[in-house]
Amino acid sequence: MTATEKIATQETATAKSVIAFPRISFWRTIVALIFAAGIYSMYARFALGLKASTNLTDPQPWGLWVGLGTLCGVGLSAGGFAIAAAVYILGLERYRPILRTAVLISFLGYCTVCVGMLYELGLPWRIWHPIVMWNRHSVLFEVSWCVMLYTTVLALEFSPALLEKLPWVRVREAYLRWHHSILIALVLAGTLLSSMHQSFLGGLYLITKGKLDPLWYTPYLTTLFYLSAIPAGLAVTIMAIYLCMRSLNVRVDFSILSDVSRVISPLLAIYGVFRAVDLINRGATQYLWMWRREETQLFWLEIVLLVLAPIVLLSKEKVRKTPQYLYWTCAVIVMGFMTNRLNVSITGLQASSAMYYTPKWTEFAASLATITAAAVAFRYAVIYLDILPKNSQPRRGLASHAPVHA
Amino acid sequence: METTRAILVDITKCIGCRSCEQACKQIHGFPMDTEAKLSSTALTVVEEHGDRFVRRMCMHCEDPACASACLVGALKKTAAGPVTYDGSKCIGCRYCLVACPFSVPRYQWTKLVPYVTKCDMCAARQAKGQLPACVEACPVQASISGSREEILEEAQRRILNDSKYVKHIYGSDEAGGTSVFFISDVAFEKLGFVAAPKQAMPVLTANALGDGPTVILVGGALLSGLYWITQRRTQVALAEAREKSEKEGR
Repeated sequence: MTATEKIATQETATAKSVIAFPRISFWRTIVALIFAAGIYSMYARFALGLKASTNLTDPQPWGLWVGLGTLCGVGLSAGGFAIAAAVYILGLERYRPILRTAVLISFLGYCTVCVGMLYELGLPWRIWHPIVMWNRHSVLFEVSWCVMLYTTVLALEFSPALLEKLPWVRVREAYLRWHHSILIALVLAGTLLSSMHQSFLGGLYLITKGKLDPLWYTPYLTTLFYLSAIPAGLAVTIMAIYLCMRSLNVRVDFSILSDVSRVISPLLAIYGVFRAVDLINRGATQYLWMWRREETQLFWLEIVLLVLAPIVLLSKEKVRKTPQYLYWTCAVIVMGFMTNRLNVSITGLQASSAMYYTPKWTEFAASLATITAAAVAFRYAVIYLDILPKNSQPRRGLASHAPVHA
Repeated sequence: METTRAILVDITKCIGCRSCEQACKQIHGFPMDTEAKLSSTALTVVEEHGDRFVRRMCMHCEDPACASACLVGALKKTAAGPVTYDGSKCIGCRYCLVACPFSVPRYQWTKLVPYVTKCDMCAARQAKGQLPACVEACPVQASISGSREEILEEAQRRILNDSKYVKHIYGSDEAGGTSVFFISDVAFEKLGFVAAPKQAMPVLTANALGDGPTVILVGGALLSGLYWITQRRTQVALAEAREKSEKEGR
């Protein structure tokens, strides 16, 4: 069996098992279990309180929901603005076929962030307070406005995919015409807002001087957060499109993804160099070799996964050109990125808080359920909307279910 | 001008009677059990470090990290000195807990409608001309209060006139200066005091926030410029193609 045949059989197998509606399949069972755990976590969080649903304490007031839900959620949603800017502002038409997917991922990513915020806040019904109560000295204030505005921009950017399905021709045409006229303004605003948002998330930790470990505390946290978000966001976009190709019967020119991956390694290299220069400038290199410290170990895990391994892997043409290899390389980048954000938000603050925080299972379950919900939404969007072009010949196992847009 | 109030805690005088803790719990209606660490029902505690007693409480910074961090402005440095908390604005993000260099604010983790708790230097009592409850309760004047200038002068006088004191007033430059000061005859780091940065914490984020407008202006201009170039190139390419096809057509 050749590699392609193997992938094809796998694809059919996955497609078959996932799509047939009433059948209980492996993935459906997993999703159902995640949702069941998620519903219990929701109950625990909102009916029993933060103490019952989290392991958060006064010395560690921000945990997984901030580290994973917000910092990773926003960071990994950076693909949308990067691809939109590339297509509309730089005129790189080559990436237009994957634009909608990238924007959809970002939009859903931001939705998970907003939902996660409701879990995270002690008084979630006051989530609107920042709209009327302003403190412009607060980084978090800027962050909250960026979330609100950029989620709106993403919703507008993505809206044609939904509204073009409206059966009323005149409403539809009028909306699409209006959308066309504001599109470039949306993309410009989105690029700026999203850039600021990515940076300000790093900026949140500028005030933790003296608390955050020197391996991570730097006045350039803003720049570093921005520089690392773009390659990670692109990696997520590649992963999602690869999965669509494998299991959702869509047709994408793989060389587009290869080209995206060619951009990733220079971006990671710039990040790595910036990081190294910053560590040397601050005289923090002494901490690099204190192997006994957990901080040092996790720092190196982060550097290997986010910078070193991907740059080596992506330098090989075979990796860039083989879908499966590229997928796993992107997975490594995403893991490295998540390690970085969790290091800043949890590992780096552990020593000063004298508290060893491990998230409670309900914290994992709530985050996982939110992310799974976004993944399910993504899947159905790709199936029912025109996000990616579909193969005109539906594969067996898909025929009964997926509508085919020839 | 209104005088800024401050508290001085002289660790050499504290006898560990915990009257301050009790007084604080009493006026807030908290359960009276002694607690080892600050909590949402203990806004000040007397910690034992060796044979010294160290009272912990909010430091009431001159330029507080918590107030700059609070996105809805629930935490405020008042002109009278205390850093106060307006629970009706709070959304429960807990960024103040993250931001505080002294790790003072506490959260009501067990409650379904949780708020942040911390000492407010009895702002309401002081406004009526009364002393903070803890200061009033201290039987040996280990804690005294007064205007910030008087209190700093007094602290200065004590550490200069008596050689047993460490020659530093904790709070004079920590986090850019506070309104609660400690003097001691044992090195502060041995008594559980953190080596807080000697600068006003909000400065750390002010620079990044100040960059915001610049980023919007410069970034906006840059992106618009790039977009213009892209548009121009498309137009030129289109015109060239048209010209070419016209020539060929002829």
